[in-house]
Amino acid sequence: MPCPYSRLSPRAYPEEFAMRIAHYLNQFFGGIGAEEHAGKELEVRDGAVGPGRLLESLLGNDARIVLTLVCGDNYAVEHQDEVTASVVEKVRHANVDLFVAGPCFDAGRYGMAAGALCRAVQAELSISVVTAMSEENPGVDLNRDALYIIDSGTSIANMRNVLDKMARLSRKLVTKEPIGLPHEEGYLRRGWLRDQLVEKKAATRLVDMLLAKMNGEPFESEMPPTAFAPIPMPAGVKNLSRAKLMLITDGGLVPKGNPDRIEGTAATRWGSYSIEGRDDLRAEDYEVSHGGYDTRFVQEDPDRLVPLDALREMEKNGVIGKLHDEFISTCGRSNPLSNTRRLGREMAAKIKRDGVDAVILTST
Amino acid sequence: MQLTLARHPVTDLRFDTPARLEGSILLIDRAELRRLVLEDESIVSVDFDIARPGERCRAGPIFDVIEPRAKAPGCGADFPGILGAPITAGIGTTHVLTGAAVSVLAEISPDPTRSATGRVLEMSGAPVEASEYSSLQHLIVIPHTKPGLPRQTLEKAYRLAGIRVAVEVARSAWNHLPTNLQTFEPVGPGEKGRDGRARVAYVGQIFSRQRKPAVDEPILYGANTDGMLPVMLHPDEWLDGAVVPSLHSWFGGTETYFYQNHPIILELYQRHQAREINFVGTVATIAGSDNFDRERHCRAAANLVKWNLNADGAVLSKYGGGLPHADLAETARLLEGMGIKTSVMVSDVSRDRRVESALLFNVPEVDAIVYNGGNGKQWEVPRVDRIIAATPEFTELLAGPMTIDASNIVGITNQQGASRMRAMVY
Amino acid sequence: MVQITSALPIAKMVGANRVVLGTGIVHVTGDAKLPPADEKELRRKLVQKALDALQSNERE
Repeated sequence: MPCPYSRLSPRAYPEEFAMRIAHYLNQFFGGIGAEEHAGKELEVRDGAVGPGRLLESLLGNDARIVLTLVCGDNYAVEHQDEVTASVVEKVRHANVDLFVAGPCFDAGRYGMAAGALCRAVQAELSISVVTAMSEENPGVDLNRDALYIIDSGTSIANMRNVLDKMARLSRKLVTKEPIGLPHEEGYLRRGWLRDQLVEKKAATRLVDMLLAKMNGEPFESEMPPTAFAPIPMPAGVKNLSRAKLMLITDGGLVPKGNPDRIEGTAATRWGSYSIEGRDDLRAEDYEVSHGGYDTRFVQEDPDRLVPLDALREMEKNGVIGKLHDEFISTCGRSNPLSNTRRLGREMAAKIKRDGVDAVILTST
Repeated sequence: MQLTLARHPVTDLRFDTPARLEGSILLIDRAELRRLVLEDESIVSVDFDIARPGERCRAGPIFDVIEPRAKAPGCGADFPGILGAPITAGIGTTHVLTGAAVSVLAEISPDPTRSATGRVLEMSGAPVEASEYSSLQHLIVIPHTKPGLPRQTLEKAYRLAGIRVAVEVARSAWNHLPTNLQTFEPVGPGEKGRDGRARVAYVGQIFSRQRKPAVDEPILYGANTDGMLPVMLHPDEWLDGAVVPSLHSWFGGTETYFYQNHPIILELYQRHQAREINFVGTVATIAGSDNFDRERHCRAAANLVKWNLNADGAVLSKYGGGLPHADLAETARLLEGMGIKTSVMVSDVSRDRRVESALLFNVPEVDAIVYNGGNGKQWEVPRVDRIIAATPEFTELLAGPMTIDASNIVGITNQQGASRMRAMVY
Repeated sequence: MVQITSALPIAKMVGANRVVLGTGIVHVTGDAKLPPADEKELRRKLVQKALDALQSNERE
């Protein structure tokens, strides 16, 4: 019986009859270790690793992960071009039908790397690619139009369910079956349009939608809200030596004890903390509330996130007029726009009230 | 206002004299119709043809589709302001030949740069399930105009020919017993009996000032809308001939048939009848020519909805091309600001099939949007047995086989709410 | 406002007008691999870059 995939992968070895897959994982899912190993370089392993084993079995008896690529999250982001080129080469060499990255859940650096790699593999090798991550993952908005990204949600407890969706979508892509709508297949909305004949005429849908809205019932607009409106650029600071500057961070630096209980994920709060009289930030006074990066280095020396020492120096030397007595902090990790828009507005109000002329925002 | 529609279902059309309705068969007197159409000096000759559902037949370019309707004697004027004095439409009995349509052909495509064929009537094959027109019996009117006339004169001639024929053939129903009578329930801002129900209004654009209307272009009670501000209309006025499409056809799709059978107004009437809402009325408005014009109209329309109709919610539709979406969104935004909830219906303007290229406004409160698609769908249509067209060039052009866009088949894309072609975001 | 970050694509995507590249995710205005004096110098340079961006009217 002819291999159902043979027409898709003419280079496949006839005696294997397998769907050949390459899988990309980060240091954690690749079994190397947690955040402290995020700087690990790209490694190659034979066969399936970690969640890849379950993925392979969900894909079916004729599926084989022939190659797993593991890389530290920080390394992948900081050396994106080099890692991408390397991965594309290795995947090319492995003669696969499918490239899978993740699932990444809400790990932002992982998602960004997975997205970039999938894009590159798709573009350069023209093979099917699938990844998965949560909607808030920054890897989504950067890549959603080019890729099928399964919505994994944020909880790793759903791994099996997510891998199952990835497997089913992968199969359809490889066998070139038509792909359904996002809610049918489980992928995140890609931002493309296609026409479909529906049961109800537009007039009915229009009135239904208004009545639902008026009754406070949920309704689904046929057009999603737009992404980011352009932000007008304020004029440059004219006289820096007279200006009052303020430091803001979304890296989650807070006074020891986290008095405002700023959450390490999807923070709903922000705080403003006094740095009056201080020339630098000392490790014993602060802690970091941010679940999205290895916070050791910032803990050791908080100036690595909030550069107070450098700015205090500039204040003393007259480069800037004044450094504000407070710095603002919150946590930017996996934070939905519904939160961050509000946080930003509140911060802006305070900044205005305090007579600040310019802000330096540091982001991890 | 009390409009009663006396419905006479039609299942077949035939040419014969005298013109009459026998059961559900409409007999049409071509000679009589020819005399009527040729009263317009712009037209030198006219042909008639019949297209039936399921026939391997194609007609085009379609200028307009009109439902045959005639006011009962003594009940007012047909297309007031156009065929007679501009007395108020929507009162008394109107006879309707359901299942039938009068479709007028043009001799030129409305926009040859956008479509060589113009909009086409397709009576068989895959596209038929997407358009209501494919299930109607069509009397096709093919006027031949005097050479050398300006475009708007031709278009006006087509408009008049179509509605004259539609009224004339419907008069055969005068001595015929209707199958059913529908009298619309009273609606209006002062109507009693629906306390506690949400007060809902319809705001519909009827013209877009992306183009200047011709001096004698009939749109609202025969007036060309130039310089006009939004106006309140009773829903029955829309349904009974007060409004016709502009002479320039937009690819978003607007036909007289769907003013007579206005999907949004009929939907609101249904909910009103079922006591789900209190349908308080409508506003007819125009998409502005510039920012000031837009501001002026949007505010005036919103004010009418708030202060005269006292509505709690409104559904809005647009007319024309892309720019009127700005008017649509601004009117809705103003209404939302007044505490009136809105839903809006947009056309498909995306060329690259990306959502971000499709939405022409970004107003957070205007978050209930119905998206009429059509820009992305095509069909492969075959060679057909019969082409009905005004010129040999079009007969050639429409023969097929060919690929045809959904927006080029009449009745698939529609700005009046009739469309079932939705643009899905994926 | 000027933003110092290592995740440039995101800043661009949300429309930040003034963006300066930081030194790595875990220490955006520092570098744990450098000896303290060098690290301070690096930070000084980075902050100066940010201040330059604040004064400029070029989008970066």
